[in-house]
Amino acid sequence: MAYKVFGLTASDQTSLLRIAILGLISIVAVGSRLYSVIRFESVIHEFDPWFNYRTTRYLVDNGFDKFWNWFDETAWYPLGRVVGGTLYPGIMVTSATIYNALHLVNIPVDIRNVCVFLAPAFSALTALATYQLGKEVKNATAGLLAAAFIGVAPGYISRSVAGSYDNEGIAIFLLVFTFFLWLRSVRLGSALYGALTAIFYFYMVSAWGGYVFIINLIPLHVFALLVMGRYSNRLYVAYSTFYVLGTLASMQIPFVGFQPTFTSEHMAALGTFGLIQLVAFASYVRTLVPSDQFRMLIRLSILGLFVVGFGGLVLLTMTKVIAPWTGRFYSLWDTAYAKVHIPIIASVSEHQPTAWPNFFFDLNMLIWLLPAGIYFSFRELSDNHVFLILYSLFAAYFAGVMVRLILTLTPIVCVMAGVAMANVFEIYLDFSKTKAEAENMAVATAPAEKEKEKGKSQGGAGEPPVAVAAKTLYETAGFKRFYALFPKIVVVANFLYFLCMFQWHCSWITSSAYSSPSVVLASRGPDGSHHIIDDFREAYYWLQMNTKADAKVLSWWDYGYQLAGMADRTTLVDNNTWNNTHIATVGKILASDEDTAYELARRHDVDYVLVVFGGMLGYSGDDINKFLWMIRIAQGVYPDGFKEEDFYNAAGEYAIGDTASPTMRRSLMHKLCYYRFHEVMGPQGFDRVRKQKLPKDITLDNFEEAYTTENWMVRIYKVKDLDNYGRSHHAVSAFEGPRFKNDFVF
Amino acid sequence: MKLWTCLALASILLGSANAKSASGDRVLVLVPKIESAKHYSKFLGSLETRGFEVSVRAASNTSVALQIDGERAFDHAILLAPAAKKFGDGLGPLDFTRFVDDGGNMVVAASSELSDFHRKLAAQFGVVFEPRSTWAIDHANYLKQNNASDHKVVAASNFALAPAILSPEFASTSAKSQPKPTVYFKGIAHKYDAANPQLVPLLTGAISTYSGRDKGEKPMENTDTPLSGKSLGLVSAFQTRGNARVSFAGSTAMFSDALLSKRGGDNQRFVEDVAKWTMQEKSVLRETGHRHHLSATGEQPGHYRVSNEIVYEIDLSVYRDDAWHPYVADDVQFEAIMLDPYIRITLNHTDSAGSAPDTATYHGDIKLPDRYGTFTFRVNYKRTGYSNVDVKDTVAIWPLRHDGYPRFLSAAYPYYTGSFVMVIGFLALSAVWLFSDEPASKDKAGAAASKEKPKGKAKHKSS
Repeated sequence: MAYKVFGLTASDQTSLLRIAILGLISIVAVGSRLYSVIRFESVIHEFDPWFNYRTTRYLVDNGFDKFWNWFDETAWYPLGRVVGGTLYPGIMVTSATIYNALHLVNIPVDIRNVCVFLAPAFSALTALATYQLGKEVKNATAGLLAAAFIGVAPGYISRSVAGSYDNEGIAIFLLVFTFFLWLRSVRLGSALYGALTAIFYFYMVSAWGGYVFIINLIPLHVFALLVMGRYSNRLYVAYSTFYVLGTLASMQIPFVGFQPTFTSEHMAALGTFGLIQLVAFASYVRTLVPSDQFRMLIRLSILGLFVVGFGGLVLLTMTKVIAPWTGRFYSLWDTAYAKVHIPIIASVSEHQPTAWPNFFFDLNMLIWLLPAGIYFSFRELSDNHVFLILYSLFAAYFAGVMVRLILTLTPIVCVMAGVAMANVFEIYLDFSKTKAEAENMAVATAPAEKEKEKGKSQGGAGEPPVAVAAKTLYETAGFKRFYALFPKIVVVANFLYFLCMFQWHCSWITSSAYSSPSVVLASRGPDGSHHIIDDFREAYYWLQMNTKADAKVLSWWDYGYQLAGMADRTTLVDNNTWNNTHIATVGKILASDEDTAYELARRHDVDYVLVVFGGMLGYSGDDINKFLWMIRIAQGVYPDGFKEEDFYNAAGEYAIGDTASPTMRRSLMHKLCYYRFHEVMGPQGFDRVRKQKLPKDITLDNFEEAYTTENWMVRIYKVKDLDNYGRSHHAVSAFEGPRFKNDFVF
Repeated sequence: MKLWTCLALASILLGSANAKSASGDRVLVLVPKIESAKHYSKFLGSLETRGFEVSVRAASNTSVALQIDGERAFDHAILLAPAAKKFGDGLGPLDFTRFVDDGGNMVVAASSELSDFHRKLAAQFGVVFEPRSTWAIDHANYLKQNNASDHKVVAASNFALAPAILSPEFASTSAKSQPKPTVYFKGIAHKYDAANPQLVPLLTGAISTYSGRDKGEKPMENTDTPLSGKSLGLVSAFQTRGNARVSFAGSTAMFSDALLSKRGGDNQRFVEDVAKWTMQEKSVLRETGHRHHLSATGEQPGHYRVSNEIVYEIDLSVYRDDAWHPYVADDVQFEAIMLDPYIRITLNHTDSAGSAPDTATYHGDIKLPDRYGTFTFRVNYKRTGYSNVDVKDTVAIWPLRHDGYPRFLSAAYPYYTGSFVMVIGFLALSAVWLFSDEPASKDKAGAAASKEKPKGKAKHKSS
């Protein structure tokens, strides 16, 4: 390979190619995430991103010191939220830094656009990090393949499309890069890389609660290596440096604080740190007292220590010295746990166990390349490969338990698929040996070849039908060469086809499933026309323009962040579900009858109640469908007077309208959703989500309809003030007569 | 609050020198026929001498309007036409409640020929009049005249203890020696909602008073016990949450010249008290200002921090005798509420005679709770007969800044010592390690160990 192209040597050519390929991968990674911006607009998506966006704006406007000490009195009214101490500031600081840097060089970018395009930009970095990881564990080919996979894998795209301004957007990059640095530091035994690992671990801690995955997986890796008798000074240097620096750094994040010293999630890391000190000491002793039995002794004592340590951990947890595992973690082990004990966790759709098709949907062929990758890792089994195997197993398990953890599975699947593919291509794309092989074949003519040849001639596409002249044909050099080449071509063509299909699948998934902002919806008419449904923003804008600046809006917690971000109004509960009681109170207000609800709402100074209703449009993610969760959550905190069964009718169905149970019909949610709905749907009208007939004659006295959006998706009601004369509002309505008597005359 | 600023503004704008009411001086008097106004000449005359601009209209006059272009056309309305089924051009009860909602005050006089209109209107205020052609009757206390006696003219003397509404002589209970003031009342009785704090039964029946039909008329159906005694209301006063005032009297006659001038009766004084109170001439309470600030610096920050010491002050004045005076009381309370009251203290009256002679300043030194959140600072002052003062401020109390906590705790000194000893020890050990020489003798036992050592040393030096 001494040819020079454009005056470049072969190694220069390869690096140029690599750079070009990585550049292209980055472009594809960013490009495929822009569907949502092109289809809709540059808008922040979903729910949590709105909080991140709002806090980022606060950070940009007020500076870091104020942000750090920010107490948001407009959230969780009247409790408030210590924002600075209850968030992972990584993503906000990252965006603000980019924003300030751009403004420093006089590029006047709006902070919203920085936020919208942050995740795609970081996905390009993730591709680079994955390349490094692949290169670290296998070679550049594996790295490039892995980078190409992660660039377009839907499992990752689902959390990083433009506008999806969430922690995961940068956290996956940090996760991959931290692991890469860790593997390198283990391989080199370098304190420098160990320290770099700790720094990126710190960045990860500042960015996402998923850092717990790192702080458990790395100790697990170390522990596995110790048990396998693979202790080395390299490992000792890497882990000690990482753990000490990383833990101290992570404690600087207020939200984490002293947790690394007393919560169960961090105990494994601490225990492993202690263990490796002991092992290091033991191995030092061994150099002084060489003995064949010593190795055995060490292994036994490791196991013994593990048992003692684990027992001590359990004991300390039982005596409440160490904080027990949080509910979210229990639900990782027992999928039914959350449903029984913590409905608030179970109510989130992304906390549900994963359905099998989801794996294929999000990872396509990568999912079956994962076992192949594990197999190849076992074949080599260096320290790094142990890590890959552990990561695969645990991430695969967690991904099976919770839908959203497919996200952490995706990087390792990509790397493993890259490794597997690289192994395949290493063998089947290596044509240098074909000639030699062909000659070897010519010497040994086995009878088995005949059968193979037959099958091949039936299936082979480009082969001339010359089976008749078989005997002489075997002997020809052309045939031998062809015979050596053919299986390679078939395999490579096959895999190329898979790769193309993979890319096609990824683009299709990204375009059809993951590029909807969910703030703005799109629908197609029967004639194929495109409709934009913008009810959410319509309602939030109405609130912003028509209500007092300090108005308190009650809604189910899903809409809390959007209300704060778009309507700029005070909310009672939001997506940071830290106070179960408060959420249950909101659930109780919505599930109670009108008078109880009114009393509670007034006690909490509620001015407006907002409900999301999909009956007009067939939007199934509406509040009536979430209502059962509200009841369950309310029931968990207020057991007296609340029973889920009361909301099912005599036939045991969760019905609406006139067939619903009396409790259901009395509930505020039912009233607010269906109030006056039959007037617009006509006497034969029905709810398009539930496919049931509408209730008629819904009276509403304590609340007054303030605004309903174009498609009736968002309905806002004003909580009436107490009556001037101290009457009940039912009496006032009886006195003043129906309010909307003549509204619908046309 | 808002209402009060409006009222204050109105009183300044309309403040023709003789205006006596705090809220305005346009009075609409509705009588059955225009000529029947002469029966009430004394009462109406007293209004005019007090500076009101009285417009007397017949009930059926179609030009009567309570509102003109969405604005109240009158400040007060006196309904002396109990038999009228409607007023003006189809004005119904709803129009009158709207009038009151807008801040208008109203005196409603009834009689035993009471129309449904009045019944419906009164029911909104928790006042339920007895059926038609019943009377309040008392066979023990009645108007005794020289020649004839009418048991339907009740000599009532059961006054409510409401010093803010009635003059002191009505309110006094102890003075047994003095003759009790009596008010002659001829008309219909009503039930009042005793549980409603907004409603004050000013004049109720004596133990012998009952509601029934006159002799010769069809007796009442004996379904339930007739209304009698204390639960039988004769005159009641109502104040809305918006501080508009409405009085209900079961008798038009008690306003008439005939009964006002009756000797031995105190109708004159009583009716004047009721009218004065209703038309916002007395016991009008207002808050002219309130403020809170840090006691240390005197500044008002955008938000407080937990356990801050603050000062809360509120100025109150009361309107009586044509002018605003300082309102002096010892029961003005301050609350800091977050769902539940965290603090409730009584504010002290301080003399602030210098700057504003017509207001009284109440002062409280408050240590905020050690709890962050959105608090409501509230002075909710509601006393019978006085206007409601309900002042609310929403104030955020933030937690301490990250550097607002004490830096060094004496309890933690052992830990500080521990960490510094650790640091020094580590440095010392490193120094010894780096600068000590290899042991010269290399025996067999130490051979393995010495392999490692120079490596580590070299690394340290290079970095």
